[in-house]
Amino acid sequence: MRVMRVAMTIALLAAALPGFAKDPEHQYKTVEAKHFTKVEGLELSPEFTDYLYAELRAELTKAKLAGQVIGEGEVVDEADAPASITIEGSITEYKKGSVVKDVLIGYTAGWRSLKVETTIKRRSDQKIIVSPQIHVRASPRWKDKVLAKEAAHEIVKEIKKALKENGTGA
Amino acid sequence: MSAGKILEKLGGALFFSGMVCLAAWADDPKPKPENTVHVELTEPVKPQAFGRPLKFFVGEVTDRSGNAQPMLVLKPRGGIFLDRTPVEITREGLTNCLKSAGMLAADRESADFVLNVYLFHFGLSDSSGMDFFGKVEFAVMVKNAKTGKSQQIQAAGTSIAGLAVRKKNIQKNVLEDINKAFEDAVRSLLRGEKLRDAVKALDVPAETKAPPAEAAPPPAAEKPPAHRWN
Repeated sequence: MRVMRVAMTIALLAAALPGFAKDPEHQYKTVEAKHFTKVEGLELSPEFTDYLYAELRAELTKAKLAGQVIGEGEVVDEADAPASITIEGSITEYKKGSVVKDVLIGYTAGWRSLKVETTIKRRSDQKIIVSPQIHVRASPRWKDKVLAKEAAHEIVKEIKKALKENGTGA
Repeated sequence: MSAGKILEKLGGALFFSGMVCLAAWADDPKPKPENTVHVELTEPVKPQAFGRPLKFFVGEVTDRSGNAQPMLVLKPRGGIFLDRTPVEITREGLTNCLKSAGMLAADRESADFVLNVYLFHFGLSDSSGMDFFGKVEFAVMVKNAKTGKSQQIQAAGTSIAGLAVRKKNIQKNVLEDINKAFEDAVRSLLRGEKLRDAVKALDVPAETKAPPAEAAPPPAAEKPPAHRWN
């Protein structure tokens, strides 16, 4: 009985060990998010891109995609450049939605919609690693910045997925 | 209508407007020690290395935000105030960073470059309502102290912090948010490619400043004739 107990304790400790293990090495040294551009004619305020940029950086920090999330236009050491990536993007479509349709029809009819094309490049040679396309939707009764928050979350999720599928390392 | 009735109505209107004013006055938050936060860089930002050792001097820092209450960062729930003006915070932050890297000039005369800062935004900005959006934005006029030539560059910092219910936590999150945004903005300036490019363009060594008179291009008549192939 005693032996069983000791064995159980050891097994439990062994199972818990990975939790105490050091965080795995980040895939990239630095990641730089840039302000997304907008195609002409989109009814989005300049603050929207600022907010999207801030949310994207916050999501990148949370996702631990790289050792450091640097600001736009920040210098990077030559040695770190091959293991650094930049995220660029363009907002290609924005539909502001309709509250009337949302209320009368429901089932996501009349929702706001945002389409973003992103490109992840390696800093050293500007080689495109992945270029996922993101499409997010939200209720028109919410502020348009909710869409930015959702978009930032989706972008990081898609980037992680695309990088995993590609098996692209530093 | 009798004079009594008119007076009665006037009195009622006066009472109502007085109540509205009182309510507005009561809503206006006042700075107190418990709702004041101290914004500063947690650790100095290390500026980038330039081609040669340079000294910078932080000249004028001007608030161009047009904000009537620059120290009030959040109005609801009794308000949150900064303990110093954004101008003072920015000046102190930049000075400390340059000083810690040994790049701060003692005065304007001994400096290679003078940095005049124009603050456009310092504090919180409009967010989605699900978090706090900290934003610090300024423009810096980089001026070569010797030649007088200058170039303007932009720097901005942003940060996102979670919402909170308790006032103590709101204050903590707002402080953290502004601190991060400020650090990000200073980082964007001192480690930015824009400053590197501006310094590169303005930092003209004295010996290559003006070409000598004899090095001027020869007159058109003295130009060698163009080579004709046919």
